[in-house]
Amino acid sequence: MSEPVICAKQLRKRYARGPWVLDHLDFEVAPGRIVGLMGPNGAGKTTVLKTILGLTPFEGELTVLGKDPRRERDALMREVCFIADVAVLPKWLRVRQALDYVEGVHPRFNRLRAEDVLANTDVSLTAKVGELSKGMITQLHLAMILAIDARLLVLDEPTLGLDLLYRRTFYEALLNDYFDQARTILVTTHQVEEVEYLLTDILLLRGGRLVLDCPTDQLAERFVQLITTQEHLAAARALQPIYEREVFGRVGLIYESVDAQALRPLGELRTPTIADVFVAKMQGVIE
Amino acid sequence: MQRLITMVRREFWEHRALFWAPLIVAALFVSMAVFSVFLDGSVSISIDGEDANFFALLEADPVIRGQLFAVWMGALALPQFGLGLILVFFYLLDCLYAERRDRSILFWKSMPVSDASTVISKLAVAMLAVPAWIWMLTMVSGLVIFAALSTQLSGTPIQALATFSITEWFALQGFILGDLLVAALWFAPVIAYLLVVSAFAKRGPFLWATLPPLALAVAERTLLGTSYLGQFFIERLTGYFSVFSTFNTRTSDPELLGATIAEAYGGLNALPLLAEASTWVGVLLAAPLLVLAIRIRRWRDDAL
Repeated sequence: MSEPVICAKQLRKRYARGPWVLDHLDFEVAPGRIVGLMGPNGAGKTTVLKTILGLTPFEGELTVLGKDPRRERDALMREVCFIADVAVLPKWLRVRQALDYVEGVHPRFNRLRAEDVLANTDVSLTAKVGELSKGMITQLHLAMILAIDARLLVLDEPTLGLDLLYRRTFYEALLNDYFDQARTILVTTHQVEEVEYLLTDILLLRGGRLVLDCPTDQLAERFVQLITTQEHLAAARALQPIYEREVFGRVGLIYESVDAQALRPLGELRTPTIADVFVAKMQGVIE
Repeated sequence: MQRLITMVRREFWEHRALFWAPLIVAALFVSMAVFSVFLDGSVSISIDGEDANFFALLEADPVIRGQLFAVWMGALALPQFGLGLILVFFYLLDCLYAERRDRSILFWKSMPVSDASTVISKLAVAMLAVPAWIWMLTMVSGLVIFAALSTQLSGTPIQALATFSITEWFALQGFILGDLLVAALWFAPVIAYLLVVSAFAKRGPFLWATLPPLALAVAERTLLGTSYLGQFFIERLTGYFSVFSTFNTRTSDPELLGATIAEAYGGLNALPLLAEASTWVGVLLAAPLLVLAIRIRRWRDDAL
């Protein structure tokens, strides 16, 4: 089996003597996966990305594409493409200049490809970034992503503040025109429903701790939602749900790693969506 | 090399004044000279002392003639040089600061470019690219102005000055380029200090650049009663110009006129500064400051 793209062992970080911002994280990301790194604000998502990109010091072990991001950042960035949210391209930069610059410094950038992608958009090569709409900036990002032959693509809230249409086209292009078995995508986002269908794995962070690390195709085996009524509630609670919510007189309970047969007599069983699991893990009791 | 050129170009895209301001000043000089020659038609040259002797000297001695020509043309470079200092000062304060303020540092850092090469590219803009641009502009505008003036000078007593000599001209360009590069070396510690400030300041890089040295000097004066630091800072800022002080020498004695011109010509040359220890002490000081600027840019992450 090929070595993992990202391997974190006891990854931790804190500022001065404060609390752990990243609290002993262990995880691996295999090649060819699309991993959603999710969690509420302040959970440490961006900090994880920063450690992976070598932008911030950390403790513990972390290798990305076999390299230490602290010491081998420059070599690493040849194979990693990183797009933060839409606001980071400088306003004074012209689209053509952006392409000139990346072409000049990035050995794996294919300018023709980028121009091809942009030709199908309203983005003019002579426009300044400050004159582009958020949607157009995302198209410019997409053109760069598609033109940089990277092994790992890191996206930090790439569609923040965009309308539905642009968000959809962005992720569809990513899936259809970019992704293949040799590439890996790591994406953080708030909009869980939006990326649900494209993820192969999810990592859930809460308060700097990893509360879930699970391939999406195993979610159905691992989590089950029981819809029950008040009369079965006591029995249902006895099976230790991780989350409970009352809707229109009925109660929805989410269980993790439980024998579904035991639940069946208590009510209706469903497979929770990623969003359900997200909420359960975020609002549920933390042991 | 191609990478460095791309990175230097990027600096000129962002700080367009580095390109335009010297160009506009050069264009202004050229148009002023051309207009004054062709519209006004007057060239006023005033020389103290006995003009006849001076003209005779000018006619007879090609060395003096060449030197006077150099002094005259060298005066063109001076305003550009002053402008360059101001431009580079504000450029340096901004170059590692603005990218954090608008968060574009995340974009620049997503490229396979080390922090060392980024900082060095900014250093190259200050020490090489801007001086080279100013030099080119001075050269070209000097040629145009010379052509305009020489048509006007022919038939006057000082027409000897209008004789274009390619060797004198090249020597002069060499002088100016040398002066600019020596200035870059002399100011290297100041440049590196400004890079540190630019990488470090959370806000108000101008105050960060000016207040700490001032405060240190004042503190030394009040606490110890000495002013070594203050002198050191002043020497660093003004020391470069001391070589040009001979410019001010004036004489009306025709016997000494030739010597005065020779002296003023010699004063155009900043190369003697290369023999002074303080130039190299400055370069040595610049190195750790540069390393510091690189480290700050490498690990500072509060723009995120």
